[in-house]
Amino acid sequence: MAFASDRTAVASRPRISTAALRSAALILFIALYTAFAAGPFVWVASMSLRTTTEINADHYAFPWPMHFEKFAVAWTESNYDTYFFNSAAVVLAAVAILTVVGGMAAHCFARYRFPLKGVVYFLIFSTIIFPPQVTVIGLFQLMVDYGLYNSRIGLVLVYVAIQLPITIYILEAFFARIPGDLFDAARIDGYSEWAIFWKISLPVALPAISTTIILNTILLWNEFLYAVVLITDDDKRTLPLGVLRFMGDQLEDVGMIATGLMIAIVPVVLIYVFFSERLIQGMTAGAVK
Amino acid sequence: MAIPRDMNAPATALTDVPPARDHANPRSAIAAFLTPALLIYAAFTALPVARTFFNSVHLVVPNRPDEWVGFTHYAELWTDKIFWKAVHNTLTWAVAAPILEVTIATLLALCLYAKVPFARFLRVAWFTPVLMSYVVVGILWMWILNYDWGALNEILRGIGLGGLAQPWLGHPATALPSLIGVTTWMWTGFNMVVILAAMSSLPSEVLEAAELDNCGWFAKLWFVILPLIRPTLLNLVILSFIGKMKIFDLVWVTTRGNPLWSTETVSTYVYKRAFQWSEFDLGYPSTIAVVWFVIVLAGVLLLTAIFRQRDRIEY
Repeated sequence: MAFASDRTAVASRPRISTAALRSAALILFIALYTAFAAGPFVWVASMSLRTTTEINADHYAFPWPMHFEKFAVAWTESNYDTYFFNSAAVVLAAVAILTVVGGMAAHCFARYRFPLKGVVYFLIFSTIIFPPQVTVIGLFQLMVDYGLYNSRIGLVLVYVAIQLPITIYILEAFFARIPGDLFDAARIDGYSEWAIFWKISLPVALPAISTTIILNTILLWNEFLYAVVLITDDDKRTLPLGVLRFMGDQLEDVGMIATGLMIAIVPVVLIYVFFSERLIQGMTAGAVK
Repeated sequence: MAIPRDMNAPATALTDVPPARDHANPRSAIAAFLTPALLIYAAFTALPVARTFFNSVHLVVPNRPDEWVGFTHYAELWTDKIFWKAVHNTLTWAVAAPILEVTIATLLALCLYAKVPFARFLRVAWFTPVLMSYVVVGILWMWILNYDWGALNEILRGIGLGGLAQPWLGHPATALPSLIGVTTWMWTGFNMVVILAAMSSLPSEVLEAAELDNCGWFAKLWFVILPLIRPTLLNLVILSFIGKMKIFDLVWVTTRGNPLWSTETVSTYVYKRAFQWSEFDLGYPSTIAVVWFVIVLAGVLLLTAIFRQRDRIEY
């Protein structure tokens, strides 16, 4: 049937029909890809609101009744409160230090001339392509030497180090575009170099700063390799480690694991909802030039 | 980047040596601004890397002084079958994934570039997977690829292809392709956003000129749009290549290199040898890391050389 009507349409009005066919294919492609990209989240979100018994009866049913209490159970009984707090504390501290230290270095690279500037910048920036293994073994030994192994403070410092290059890169590009007249005027007004950084560079570069803050927050929130190497105590674990540990212990409890996954996902999604443009800017900063 | 840097800098300062008292470039301020970053870089990046290089020519066992063993680790690596299997897997991943991601992403970007409805929503939906941690993604896809009730097998059974249903991560032939599919799922949206941004910033005169010349849509795509966004595409290929050469989390969460080393990557193998196999020697895994570092570097330089154009490639 469909073929027959198509053929008559082709015979009478070929152009419109091919155009319609093409847009139908386009819509189909878009719909399929959207289901592929977003489907998994819809599924895990629905499972997070269902008990494992319900899930085992039918993995793809609508979550009704919604068991919001599962979040409270995961939070209080499966240590997710500790994991969440650890993740939040480590990420917030690392991002705060990154913003100040990275901002200072970026300001320095953008504003001043000094010997070996290019070499120093290249050294810091080239670490972006390092495979993490080449740092992680030496880092493990050194953290033991420093007395920072299995410590959240140690993890914060390592996180600062791994995100420093991209932070400096994004901020330097922005600082370099601030007109120099602004700084000359400030100098004439008697501002110290520190005051110039604090009162001019940072406020003017607020868009770039918020980009790096959001980017670093998300990447560090999701970080796994350094955390798994450097943290051993359960009460120091961050969320990705906690989720994985919980899965190892409760392999069959799909419903509870899904709830745990949602606890890890929700903060990221909230940041994304409120700051999607900034976030996309940050994530793509390294690729678009 | 349109505004030149340091417009206020006097022309004489272009040589990198500052005069004795340079008010625009005070030494003390430069040192103060740079020191914290350099300290962190030295303590947590440079020293660890140096230590790993040092390890690679030593036997490093706890509670014993490091023992110089020359290049025996390197010789051992040459005959390590698992290492070469891991290299093969990782390279397969690093070659297949960028091609898949960038091709699909270009198609998707073209869809949105053609102004389909709900473009904003679609962009957000497609980009979301990249925001998740590999731990979340790994667990989620273990379920999707589950034999009994996973979404993939359910769909295959639903459309009458139940014969194709299989334990995707449990079979050596399908495990690695499945994981490559997962990273493609995760990263395609990201690539799409970058490509779309590049397409949106194309000069409209060029596209209008192509239309005036009665250029078909495919010719316009192939001869006008793709060449113009080529630098962006190549950047994305290199970025994706680097990312896949490093891949660890996803494998660790899903298969740990199983079955039969079919998903072992260099990163997981290093981790196993350093922290899992209870061999207590950190020298040999360091050697793997160093060799891998050299291979990644060579790969990036090679790709950059192949793709070399008038546009400098940034990564």
